Amino acid sequence: MPEYLIAEYDNPDSAREALRQLEALDLPGVRVASPAAYPAVHATGSPGPWRWLAWLALSGALLGLVTAIVLEVGSSLAHPVQVGGKPVVAWIPYGVIMFELTMLGAGATSFMSLVVLTALSRRGVPRVARRAVASDRIVVIVPATKQQSEQTRAVNEALAGALSVTETP
Amino acid sequence: MTSSASHPPLTIAHVEQDTIATFRRPGWLYWLALLACLGLTVAGGWVWALLVTRGLGVTGMNSPVMWGAFITSFVFFIGISHSGTLVSAILYFTRSPLRASIGRSAEAMTVIAILTAGLYPLIHLGRSWLFFWLLPYPNQRGLWPNFHSPLVWDIFAVCSYVTVSALFLYMGMIPDLALLSRRVKGWRRPLFRFLSLGFSGSDGEWAIFERAYPIFAAVAIPLAVSVHSVVSWDFAMTLIPGWHSTIFAPYFVAGAIFSGLAMAILLLAFLRRGYRLHKYIRLDHFDMMAKLLLAMSLVMWLVYATEFVQAMLRGSPAERDVFIWRTTGRYALLYWLVILCNCIIPLLTFSRRVRRSLPWLVFISIAVTVGMWFERFMFVVTSLAHHYDPFAWGAYVPSLPEALLCLAGFGWFGLLFLIFIKVFPSISVAETMQGLHAHGHDTASEGEPALEAQHA
Repeated sequence: MPEYLIAEYDNPDSAREALRQLEALDLPGVRVASPAAYPAVHATGSPGPWRWLAWLALSGALLGLVTAIVLEVGSSLAHPVQVGGKPVVAWIPYGVIMFELTMLGAGATSFMSLVVLTALSRRGVPRVARRAVASDRIVVIVPATKQQSEQTRAVNEALAGALSVTETP
Repeated sequence: MTSSASHPPLTIAHVEQDTIATFRRPGWLYWLALLACLGLTVAGGWVWALLVTRGLGVTGMNSPVMWGAFITSFVFFIGISHSGTLVSAILYFTRSPLRASIGRSAEAMTVIAILTAGLYPLIHLGRSWLFFWLLPYPNQRGLWPNFHSPLVWDIFAVCSYVTVSALFLYMGMIPDLALLSRRVKGWRRPLFRFLSLGFSGSDGEWAIFERAYPIFAAVAIPLAVSVHSVVSWDFAMTLIPGWHSTIFAPYFVAGAIFSGLAMAILLLAFLRRGYRLHKYIRLDHFDMMAKLLLAMSLVMWLVYATEFVQAMLRGSPAERDVFIWRTTGRYALLYWLVILCNCIIPLLTFSRRVRRSLPWLVFISIAVTVGMWFERFMFVVTSLAHHYDPFAWGAYVPSLPEALLCLAGFGWFGLLFLIFIKVFPSISVAETMQGLHAHGHDTASEGEPALEAQHA
């Protein structure tokens, strides 16, 4: 019994149509891989931990803000500079660096989150399917082991429009 | 110009092929430009070495004009950097068809311009190797940066901006690098494979990518606005007449977008001609950018007029005097050159014919680039040369080494850009394919085949 069926399409619309039919079969774990963010990639319900992203970016922003406060306030109190009788800790001029580091924290965390989360997300996609993606190749991955025997025919029908269907051991 | 008959209709397969074609052996125009930029860079390196060994005395800087051509170039290149990431992020949110074609080059321009801008404060330090004294870290010298100072804000703003802009550029390239790594040959294959971070284009990865990218774009826009505001505060926080003005931040931001657009038009015209990317960088795109350039030129009109009227009606006698001196004094020629280049010449783009003519647009963009450099020079120098105390008034003319180092900045900027477009994909493959698919086919436009690269 193969583990996956890998169907290759040259057209995003054909891939989307196949995904639509597979969705009707209520088959778990169907994935798609494509060279661009075609509508087909959204047809599988976008598995993956993407919902964490905004929260991670927010955490990074807060970390940046705290770093700026500690750096500015902490070091100004530890190493007071001569400011001509004005307050050593002045929030308005300090706000600039706080803003910059907040934004830097949000940006850097978003990027790191992207790297880590995409790595986690592609774990369920077989390597052979990933390699098949090209500018004119959209790949639909169907887990064969989870298919009921009566579903096999329907799956084959759904994948009928593919350029090729290969089985991975 | 290219006729519509010369291009077959664009398909998804063409996009990848055309991008890979940009990696092939370049033509004479590329080599000529590379040689010129390399020559300028080498000359600049030699002058910098001269400056390090002999000191800042070889420049024309003096008392009271202690900021000259180096700070001018710093402000100018920060301005150039402003447009790329900002415009690309705005085009992303507005789902503009321009983005797929010009976004990559504009983002690269931003990163390269900041890397160029960052050199000038280091050169201006004189003892450049002591730059780390500006950074906050525990030390035994008893030195600590003053966080009240705009110069320290500048370091944080520029460092944050270059980091976010570089990541924004890189992030947008990841899907393209992953796709092209399977097709390119030679040393690019392992490089692209390494830099694509294993991106495979699976649904989950796209979902994450499509959510991370807007967050990043949303971070980049305020950061881009803030960095040039902070640069403007280097001047506006002082009490020097002509600098101490609340209009400086919007004035700098408008000027930055203006000069950045002009530079983007120049670079894209070079890319289009050099790489025969007529199908991707179309006259429609230049037309849109020319309209933006015109709009920003009108904003510059408003800014110059407001600044002048504010000084005349509400300014101190010293400020009024500086503004009158700018228009009639020693540097008056520069002032009127700035008005000509930034306000008069761009008005040509009211004509549709000019907006769709590359030679005209290149001429206008060069004029704006020259005008914006001298605009920076004019306000940096005139306020210092002519402030409160007539006894301390002075004059400044850049020395030959300074002029060479300023030209070398353009050489360095061009060199990095030329290397970038040769090593990395200069158009966004994934976004272009996505746009083509969204529109189903390539729709013909006036004079050229169109590419409706809409960000779906």
